[in-house]
Amino acid sequence: MAAISQGTGSKFFFEGESGRNTRGLLRLIILVTIAAAAVASRLFSVIRFESIIHEFDPWFNFRATKYLVNNGFYNFWDWFDDRTWHPLGRVTGGTLYPGLMVTSGIIYHVLRLLSMPIDIRNICVLLAPAFSGLTAFATYLLTSEMTTSPSAGLLAAAFMGITPGYISRSVAGSYDNEAIAIFLLVFTFYLWIKAVKEGSIMWAGFCALFYGYMVSAWGGYVFITNLLPLHAFVLICMGRFSPRLYVSYTTWYALGTLASMQVPFVGFLPVRSSDHMAALGVFGLLQLVGFTEWVRTQLPSKQFQTLLRGLVLVVFAAAFGFLVLLTVSGTIAPWSGRFYSLWDTAYAKVHIPIIASVSEHQPTAWPAFFFDLNMLIWLFPAGVYMCFRTLKDEHVFIVIYSVLASYFAGVMVRLMLTLTPIVCVAAAMALSNILDIFLVAEQPVEGAQPQANGNPRANGPTTATEKLASAIPDTLRSTKTPVVGIYSYLSKSAMTGAFTAYLLLFVLHCTWVTSNAYSSPSVVLASRLPDGSQHIIDDYREAYYWLRQNTHQTAKVMSWWDYGYQIGGMADRPTLVDNNTWNNTHIATVGKAMSSREEVSYPIMRQHEVDYVLIVFGGLLGYSGDDINKFLWMVRIAEGIWPDEVKERDFFTARGEYRVDEEATPTMKNSLMYKMSYYNYNALFPAGQAQDRVRGAKLPAQGPELSTLEEAFTSENWIIRIYKVKDLDNLGRSHQEAGAFEKGNKRKKSGKRRGARVLRVD
Amino acid sequence: MQLRILGLLTGLLGLVSALSAQGSKLVVILEEESEKSKYSQFWSDLQDRGFQITYRSPKDTDLSLFLHGEPAYSHLLILPPKSKGLGPQLTPNLLVDFVNQGSNILLALSSEQPVPSAISGLLQELDITLPADRNSVVVDHFNYDTKSADEKHDVLLLPSPKFSKSETKNFFSVDKLIAMPHAVGQVLGNPSPLLASVLNAPSTAYTYNPKEEGELEDVFATGSQISLVSAFQARNSARFTVLGSAEAMEDKWFDASVQSPGAGKKSEKTGNKEFIRKLSAWTFMELGVLRVGEIRHYLNEGAQKGASNRTDVEKLDIDPTIYRIKNDVHYSVEVSEWSNTAWIPFTTPAGDDLQLEFSMLSPFHRLNLKPSSSNGVSTTYTAEFKLPDQHGIFNFFVEYRRPFYTNVEEKRTVTVRHFAHDEWPRSFVISGAYPWIGGIWVTIAGWVAFVALWLYSAPSQPKRDLKASSAGKR
Repeated sequence: MAAISQGTGSKFFFEGESGRNTRGLLRLIILVTIAAAAVASRLFSVIRFESIIHEFDPWFNFRATKYLVNNGFYNFWDWFDDRTWHPLGRVTGGTLYPGLMVTSGIIYHVLRLLSMPIDIRNICVLLAPAFSGLTAFATYLLTSEMTTSPSAGLLAAAFMGITPGYISRSVAGSYDNEAIAIFLLVFTFYLWIKAVKEGSIMWAGFCALFYGYMVSAWGGYVFITNLLPLHAFVLICMGRFSPRLYVSYTTWYALGTLASMQVPFVGFLPVRSSDHMAALGVFGLLQLVGFTEWVRTQLPSKQFQTLLRGLVLVVFAAAFGFLVLLTVSGTIAPWSGRFYSLWDTAYAKVHIPIIASVSEHQPTAWPAFFFDLNMLIWLFPAGVYMCFRTLKDEHVFIVIYSVLASYFAGVMVRLMLTLTPIVCVAAAMALSNILDIFLVAEQPVEGAQPQANGNPRANGPTTATEKLASAIPDTLRSTKTPVVGIYSYLSKSAMTGAFTAYLLLFVLHCTWVTSNAYSSPSVVLASRLPDGSQHIIDDYREAYYWLRQNTHQTAKVMSWWDYGYQIGGMADRPTLVDNNTWNNTHIATVGKAMSSREEVSYPIMRQHEVDYVLIVFGGLLGYSGDDINKFLWMVRIAEGIWPDEVKERDFFTARGEYRVDEEATPTMKNSLMYKMSYYNYNALFPAGQAQDRVRGAKLPAQGPELSTLEEAFTSENWIIRIYKVKDLDNLGRSHQEAGAFEKGNKRKKSGKRRGARVLRVD
Repeated sequence: MQLRILGLLTGLLGLVSALSAQGSKLVVILEEESEKSKYSQFWSDLQDRGFQITYRSPKDTDLSLFLHGEPAYSHLLILPPKSKGLGPQLTPNLLVDFVNQGSNILLALSSEQPVPSAISGLLQELDITLPADRNSVVVDHFNYDTKSADEKHDVLLLPSPKFSKSETKNFFSVDKLIAMPHAVGQVLGNPSPLLASVLNAPSTAYTYNPKEEGELEDVFATGSQISLVSAFQARNSARFTVLGSAEAMEDKWFDASVQSPGAGKKSEKTGNKEFIRKLSAWTFMELGVLRVGEIRHYLNEGAQKGASNRTDVEKLDIDPTIYRIKNDVHYSVEVSEWSNTAWIPFTTPAGDDLQLEFSMLSPFHRLNLKPSSSNGVSTTYTAEFKLPDQHGIFNFFVEYRRPFYTNVEEKRTVTVRHFAHDEWPRSFVISGAYPWIGGIWVTIAGWVAFVALWLYSAPSQPKRDLKASSAGKR
């Protein structure tokens, strides 16, 4: 009885109308579970450390969000920030992508409306994990558009949820634009595919809407701006122009461009900059092609058609030439430097050192692909190959996306992020195909393989086998009626077993990478003591809070730009330069002050009203990300503006070595950065044994002397050192003279000077 | 800043006692008690002016310029010591600290006693050079007192100080000759803007060591390059005066009558008393002290336009921290000058102006401030101008550094922001935008008309045709 009822029960649940409902419910539960897993795996940093904003850029976003929440949207829109880029200030409201802050602000206010007052910091910290759950869902939707296999979408969602390539930018506390942008990217692509498939204005309208949101959230929107036109262009070239494409593209372009122009930072770029011209060109091309198609329906003459095709080519060439003309004449901004550095990896290093100096703009190392994507990276080509087999419009999109994103990810570490979604989608398609074939318990019935092998999309291979069968003469029995399918349980279980193992390993790898590589806030450093316990090195916050509590509210802090956002966020003090890097000259000025002699640096610091100088020094602890290691970038950037005053060559020894020890060049030893780094460092060691643990160098017995600065603060592990800029000498002497006098050295009598007497003229 | 508060406090006290804007405590360093009587006229004059004088020997063990880290005296007068140095309480470093904390020093030298090396080292820090020979004296064979130094020619007779720049205010003018006996010549460093010579030697003077025999070679300094009285004003306005001849302060020379060489010159009384009085008054902050009162700046447009001339502005928004580019701004600063007994309105010397800079890295505006009103204590200088078309963090910066006046350096930092999104003129206000606005509306109207026309002119088809066409479409 029980068996019978079970049978009917399972029949009730798994077949027919209610069966579909059950599957829908299950799918929902699975998706929710995936989202929960995605959120959970991003919480390592909060559990290990605390609920804190990470790294550099998030500190600015956090500060901007606080400003938004405190001052309201319009003040945020018109925000002039007088606490950065002193004394230039920054038109912050018009030079940021407000999407992230506005999103958090809305969440904050909605929660308050629901009488759940949550600290804005916690919202900011947890925003990225929350959106990663949505990203998983968007990936599910996108994948489901690509294949009819129901499992592919779920697999893709699961991959997207935990793959380290995405986690690297979305752990709790990593409050950066990418946190919401990846969700928007995937969702916009989903809506685009939907629009192209249906040819619906509504979907294209939604696509434009989310594209607008994406533009407001991340500069990477240019990727979409170029990918969608490319998709449309390739489709046209393949002869796949259709009213669906026309409707969706024109709707998206018109509405999307208008939406993107609402963001002040973007403004008129969509019609002025070369980066956006492809979209405009394809828009024009679509009109031409549409017109041609229409004419063709009216005039079925073949000759006329070729004439028209020729006309299209001419118009295209003319439009392109016009574009080039406009670019040359300056009406359209030429390609931005960042764009060039995508094609020529050495470009940035030569022309725009400020971009090259950022570690995440370096080309990707090969192991990084495996590190970030694990098994997906080898499933990915299989998935792309499968797209080629059934090359519908949406599969063309996958192919283009994979090719472009693979290239970009190879050029720039940071762009691994845009590659990750497509890798997840393609890999999920490949894997679901494998599982769909190998997980079926029944043996394929001969003559009805297409239905039995459990792969609904097997039409391709079937027709292929038929073709094969027709092509090969009937000489061999095996080729007469080729049988395709998996019969042996051994191979089925071997394959499924192997892939289950791979999947388990994947989860293990993802968790390991997340926990070890991507969950460090970088504001707080963790190290292991000999007994295995964790030791927190909290020098950054120690120093920033020292600044906050011991200096005047308007004391200007000069530091290398990497720390600008953190000083602004944690210490709440005005800075000269920060991670926004909008003004290369200003950064070069700071670079010059750091890399010059004191006599040169001091007037610069006076002019910019600098009160404190903050540097990062890792020599004591062996912390390699310190300013001496970044120093050459400061020199290079300063050299870009003052090639006569700062020369990179002078910082290398005659043998071309970058040294800090006894044999360091005089320029190096006299530079402000060197002096600040090693000032008083000798005192920590027995005489003559001072050791720099980062560069493994033995320092000169005589430490450097500072006359225009005085040491104000050095953190526990000497990672942060803060110096106060002295005022001008009261008696009008130079600081060196004043310092010598303090020490009791007599000044040289100017009366005994040689040469002609200098007369005083009143 | 510190000076201002000090000045304010002592100014209140000064109504009853001192004439100095800074403080009345004066310490005089002299080695022997017997010396004191030589200067009795000077002491009584100082006492009359409200100074509380303490006499100390450099050898005193309890002599200290500082009390709890703060200067114990406002003013210090050092008479030339007989011994080789000034002792452990008056080392150059302590004296520099004393000046750095805002106190004033009047240092008197004499060629009768060799100058201690500590003092010449200290003066070297101020960029004042003394002759290498300790016994050098300034002589002049044309401007000497025939009565007292007919042979040695080392008592110089000098006319009242004059300054080449007309806008330099002369605090030291006397109408009689000044006698400078046995003076030590000083040479001032060229580049230092903090130094000024009060009394130059005549062009015929030169330094000379009477103990050295033989021909004169390599003269230390000659002519007007020799400064007999030099004034140094530190960046914090503390004053340090070097008087080349201590004897000029003695009673003997206050009352002496002198006679210049040459025929037809009459014997006359010296102007020493008045000159020394003025010199000490300047050094001890009775003269040439400027004080900045209230500084105000406000938006000079909209409801506040011309607020300085109106009375109907109820709530004036003074000293805002933020302006917008191209705002009209009003700036005013009150400046007073201490004149022996009270604060009086300060007026710039003829040909000189108080200037306001509106600067970010470099000045965007440099304007002459105009005196607009005066209230018996101070003059209000104002300027009205339009902010530059550049956003950033700017300073209203008034810097007035003139010889013999204390320094005025006042900085007010304001932010100048860009136009907010709703502060631009609307498109319909700009006539140049009419074609574009017209274009938009024409497009809209055209589209609506087209749709209407399209719908209106749709051909009424028979039913089966419609079906057939729709089927065909499928």
